[in-house]
Amino acid sequence: MPKILIPTPLRQFAGQQDSVVLAGATVGEVLEALTSQYGELRRHLYNDEGKLRSFVNVYVNDDDIRYLDKEATTLKDGDTVSIVPSIAGGSAGIAAPPVTLSKEEILRYSRHLIMPEVGMEGQLKLKSAKVALIGTGGLGAPLGMYLAAAGVGRIGLVDFDVVDFTNLQRQVIHGTKDVGRKKLDSAADTMLDINPYVEIDRHEVALTSENALEILKDYDIVVDGTDNFPTRYLVNDACVLLKKPNVYGSIFRFEGQATVFAYAGGPCYRCLYPEPPPPGLVPSCAEGGVLGILPGTIGLIQATETVKLILGIGEPLVGRLLLYDALAMRFRELKLRRNPECPVCGDHPTIHKLIDYQEFCGIPNQPHEPAAVEGDIDPVEVKAKIDRGDPFVLIDVREPHEYQICRIPNAKLIPLGDLPKRVNELNSADEIVAHCKSGVRSAKAVDFLKQAGFRKVRNMRGGILAWSDKVDPSVPKY
Amino acid sequence: MLRVEKAAWDTMVSHAEKTFPKECCGVMLGSGSVVQKAVPLANVYTGPQEDFFVMDPLDLHRVDVEARQAGLEILGVFHSHPDCDAYFSKRDLENSCSWFSYVVLSIKSGRFDHANSYRPDFDQKEAPKEELIYA
Repeated sequence: MPKILIPTPLRQFAGQQDSVVLAGATVGEVLEALTSQYGELRRHLYNDEGKLRSFVNVYVNDDDIRYLDKEATTLKDGDTVSIVPSIAGGSAGIAAPPVTLSKEEILRYSRHLIMPEVGMEGQLKLKSAKVALIGTGGLGAPLGMYLAAAGVGRIGLVDFDVVDFTNLQRQVIHGTKDVGRKKLDSAADTMLDINPYVEIDRHEVALTSENALEILKDYDIVVDGTDNFPTRYLVNDACVLLKKPNVYGSIFRFEGQATVFAYAGGPCYRCLYPEPPPPGLVPSCAEGGVLGILPGTIGLIQATETVKLILGIGEPLVGRLLLYDALAMRFRELKLRRNPECPVCGDHPTIHKLIDYQEFCGIPNQPHEPAAVEGDIDPVEVKAKIDRGDPFVLIDVREPHEYQICRIPNAKLIPLGDLPKRVNELNSADEIVAHCKSGVRSAKAVDFLKQAGFRKVRNMRGGILAWSDKVDPSVPKY
Repeated sequence: MLRVEKAAWDTMVSHAEKTFPKECCGVMLGSGSVVQKAVPLANVYTGPQEDFFVMDPLDLHRVDVEARQAGLEILGVFHSHPDCDAYFSKRDLENSCSWFSYVVLSIKSGRFDHANSYRPDFDQKEAPKEELIYA
C-alpha cells in the first residue's frame, strides 16, 4: 500500500505520526482516505470547493502530480506520497524602483489592459520581465516581433550571423534590404519599430560554455530558437544550472515541437533526449529544408508560453511535448517526465558545470573551408578536364528535385540512395568524379564506390556550391 | 519562540548578503523550536527577484526527505528583504502557509541589519510576530 508522508506541522492532526499507510489506487483516493480518517487535515489540504488548496503540491515519489495525471495519478505498492507547500513571498516592490506605464504605453497596450487576466498588474509584469532569445532566425523572428509587441521590457538577443537571401523565406524579422547586415541589428530595428518602449540587449557572440552562464544569468526566462544539437544541450544545461525556464521549440521540414524545459519540478531536454543523435543522422534545416511558415507557428507557441510564464496565468506547457504536423494540420501531445536519473536535473546530478557540447555531440570543430583530402578534386580542375575533353564520368549524387534547381552540364544523376542498385551503370575502368551540393554526400558515394572495387573515383571538393563560386557564377546557389 | 543556533544563523545571513540585491530564500531545520541547520535554496521566481522569491517545491521536497533521514524537521522558511525592513508584507501574507515560521532578514546596502520571525495564520489574514533568538 502507498505511504503518505505527513509534513511536520500537520502531524498534530494525524495522531503525531510522520507517515501513514493507506489503501487507494490513485492519489485522490489515498488523500480522501487520509482526510476521512483525520478530519482536521481536510481544511489544511482542501479549500471549500473540495479542491487542493493553491499552495499544496503533491508528489508521488519525486514527481509532481501536476505533471502526471493530477489527482487521478495511479499508485502502486511502495509508492510514497508527499505533501509539499509552495513557498513564496517578498518585500512587495518597496525596494525595486516602481515600474509604471506612460499615457502612450497605456494606449498601446489597451487590448491587454482591458483583460482582467493581464490588466495593469500583468502589463507591468511584462514590462519588468527580462527574456533572453537565443537566435534571431526562423523561430527567433516571430518570437522577437511578438515579445516586443507584447511589451516585454527587456529582450536580450544572442546571434552572430549575417542576413542572407536564403533566410528571407521564413525569418520575417529581416527584409530584403537587410541582406548582408548583422541579424542582431536588423532584428533590433524591426522590434524597436514595432515597439520603441522595449529595451534590447545585443549579444553578438556564439553562445558557448564559456559565456552562457554569464550572459543568461541576468534574464528571467530563456527562449531557445537555435537549430543545432550542441547549442540545445548547452542552453538546456545552462538553464538547469541557473534554474531558469527554457522555452523550447524545434522545426524540421513540415513538423515542429515545443515545450517548456527546466521549469520548477518539470523535465529538461536531457530527460527527453539523454544522448544526442549520431552526427549527420538528423539533417539540419539547411540540409533537409523547412516549410517557411512552420517556424512562425512554433515560434508563436514559444512566445505564448513565455508571456504566460511572465504573467503567471494558464497552464504552462511543462511536462508535455507538443508535436505539430503541418501537412496533416494536427497537434499531438506527449507526456514528459522528469528523469530522476537525469545527469543534470536528476536527484543525483553528475553535471555541475557546462561541458564541451561540440565534443558531446560528436562534432569535430570543422574548418570553414573544406580541407583538401587526398583523392579530392577541385571544381576548377574538373572544369579544365571538361574543356580538355579528358575522358571521365561526372556523377551527381543529389536528389532529383535538387537537380531541377541547377546542374553541371553532362553530369549523370544518380541519387546517393540509388547508387547501390544502379552501380552497374558505372564502369570501374572509367575515371569517375562525384559531386553533390557541398561535398558531404559525394564523399559517401566515393567511399561506397571504392568499397565496390572502383579505383579511379574522386570527390569534387565543395560540391556545386563551390562550382558556382569558382567556375560558373550563373549556376544558382540554394 | 524560535531559536536559531549560530551555525544555522551564519548560513542564513551569509546567503542573504550574497544574494543581495535580490531576495534569497531557504529552509530551517531542527526540532522543537530550535533551528540547528539552515539550507539555502534557489529563488526560482521568473520575474524581478529584487522584491520577490519563489521556492522550487521539488527543492523543498528533497530537503524534507533528507531532513527526515537525518532525524530533523522543517521548522520554517527564511527569506530576505533587500534594502527594506523585515516586516511581513502583503505579498508575504498572500503567499503564506500557516504550517511554518517565516524568518525575514533585512539586508541594507548588502549587510545584515535586523530580522523578525512570523507565524502566519490559517486564513492568510494575519501573521503575528514570534520571539526570535539568534546567537
